[in-house]
Amino acid sequence: MIKLKYILALFFIFSFVGCSGNSGNWGWYVIDPTTKSGLANIKFLVGGFGATILLSLIAALISIILGLIVALPSFSNNVFFRSLNRIYVEFIRAIPLLPMLFWVFYGLPVIFQSLGLKIQIDAFWGAVITLAISDSAFTAEIYRAGIQSISKGQREAAQTIGLTQYQAMRYVILPQAIRRILPPLANQFIYIVKMSAFASVIGMQELTRRANEIVVTEYRPLEIYTLLILEYLILVLVISFGVRWLERKLGSDESNSN
Amino acid sequence: MKEVIDINNVSKYFGKFKALDSVNLRVMRGQKVVICGPSGSGKSTLVRCINRLEEHDEGDIKVLGNFLTNDRLCLDSIKSKVSMVFQQFNLFPHLSVIENLTLGPIKALGISKKEAMKRALYFLERVKIPEQAFKKPNLLSGGQQQRVAIARALCLEPEIMLFDEPTSALDPEMIAEVLEVILDLANDGITMVVVTHEMGFAKKAADKIIFMDEGKILEENIPSNFFKNPKTHRSKKFLDQVLNH
Ligand SMILES: Nc1ncnc2c1ncn2[C@@H]1O[C@H](COP(=O)(O)OP(=O)(O)OP(=O)(O)O)[C@@H](O)[C@H]1O
Ligand SMILES: [Mg+2]
Repeated sequence: MIKLKYILALFFIFSFVGCSGNSGNWGWYVIDPTTKSGLANIKFLVGGFGATILLSLIAALISIILGLIVALPSFSNNVFFRSLNRIYVEFIRAIPLLPMLFWVFYGLPVIFQSLGLKIQIDAFWGAVITLAISDSAFTAEIYRAGIQSISKGQREAAQTIGLTQYQAMRYVILPQAIRRILPPLANQFIYIVKMSAFASVIGMQELTRRANEIVVTEYRPLEIYTLLILEYLILVLVISFGVRWLERKLGSDESNSN
Repeated sequence: MKEVIDINNVSKYFGKFKALDSVNLRVMRGQKVVICGPSGSGKSTLVRCINRLEEHDEGDIKVLGNFLTNDRLCLDSIKSKVSMVFQQFNLFPHLSVIENLTLGPIKALGISKKEAMKRALYFLERVKIPEQAFKKPNLLSGGQQQRVAIARALCLEPEIMLFDEPTSALDPEMIAEVLEVILDLANDGITMVVVTHEMGFAKKAADKIIFMDEGKILEENIPSNFFKNPKTHRSKKFLDQVLNH
């Protein structure tokens, strides 16, 4: 938690320098909890946490499942299946998030419409789909790397004790690979949380969108965006803390005797 | 005597490189065969072809009466009857010793958990480490780990045991304890094919010694003759190096 203290300290130094040197630059009153309007602003801004977290969680969940489906063909002996995996991963990784978001939110409904389907995509689901697809290319690579990191000898030993391919995967490879997959997978959640800010541009009422709205009415970008950054910082630090905990737990499991 | 392994004119390529070159070898039931030869001569490749960890490209291999092909039925009928012990042990680090031993019998042979436990404890006793049953493998010494690996292979009650340099990854003081266990098994009548440079072991246990070089079997001999007057210049040179080092 040293990191957090450090960064907070930097912010305060910044603000003091700002106050004493050039008092016109800072106007903390917009988010001063002792005033009525400041408190209302804070409540409005912090109210975006729910949407950001929900959006990120659902996108991460879909990405975890989709990534596994994308990774599976990469373990095939068949070149065709393997190249399906490569094409998907390379293609999805190459697309910047914002254009993909526009494509899903504004473009996909047009396709649905021309197919005669009555499927609406609201801002929430547009963002969820985009984040999940974009992230799935990375989770697929995490699965692939984790499983391939288990030595060939393990697979061969499983084979020589008579296990089928499936049994070898189920009882020998996956239980070992999971320890190497979980921490980077959890880390990937941080990426989703940060990228979820893009949902603001299609009108999703999450942290960033709310900050933008207050900035427009109050015209105090510095203070409000400072608070916004702190909000993300807290969120990300909490997740990192969880990841560290997970890593420690999995690491100690591996070396424990029983 | 009945032959359990029959290798006929087998060649194996890695890309353009010929790792096995027209190899012929017969092993009878209960025989102990030691394979030796310089590094890269194809010893591992040969034993790995016997349990189909590698596929041979030419010739044919008959194991326990079945020709080795990619046919599922054929592979199912030999799998678990041919067991292997590796140089690097290849124990499953996430499972305890006893779980390493029971996994194969329970999942591949379909015997009950209780029966598998009984069998596992019996073989742990045989390799002289019953007290380590509930530890994770990485807490054991190298010699102990290799003995667990041997017990794991035995738990499938195989008809043929393959060993690929079982003592090469061990510190000198642990080699003896592992060789002793393998010798004990040899006296049991199980068919064994052992790749090793331990010539003392070969003298005591082998019915026949195979000397390989550059993918070929250069000499097949009974131990006493092999050590006294090797047939080829190459095997003589190899013996000089191994015995005088
Ligand atoms: N998977 C592989 N791909 C390419 N070449 C291989 C492969 N496995 C073995 N070889 C090559 O085939 C030759 C024979 O290898 P092999 O492992 O059978 O030798 P070895 O007699 O067991 O040697 P060592 O005593 O070092 O274990 C070597 O030249 C090796 O480089
Ligand atoms: Mg070898």
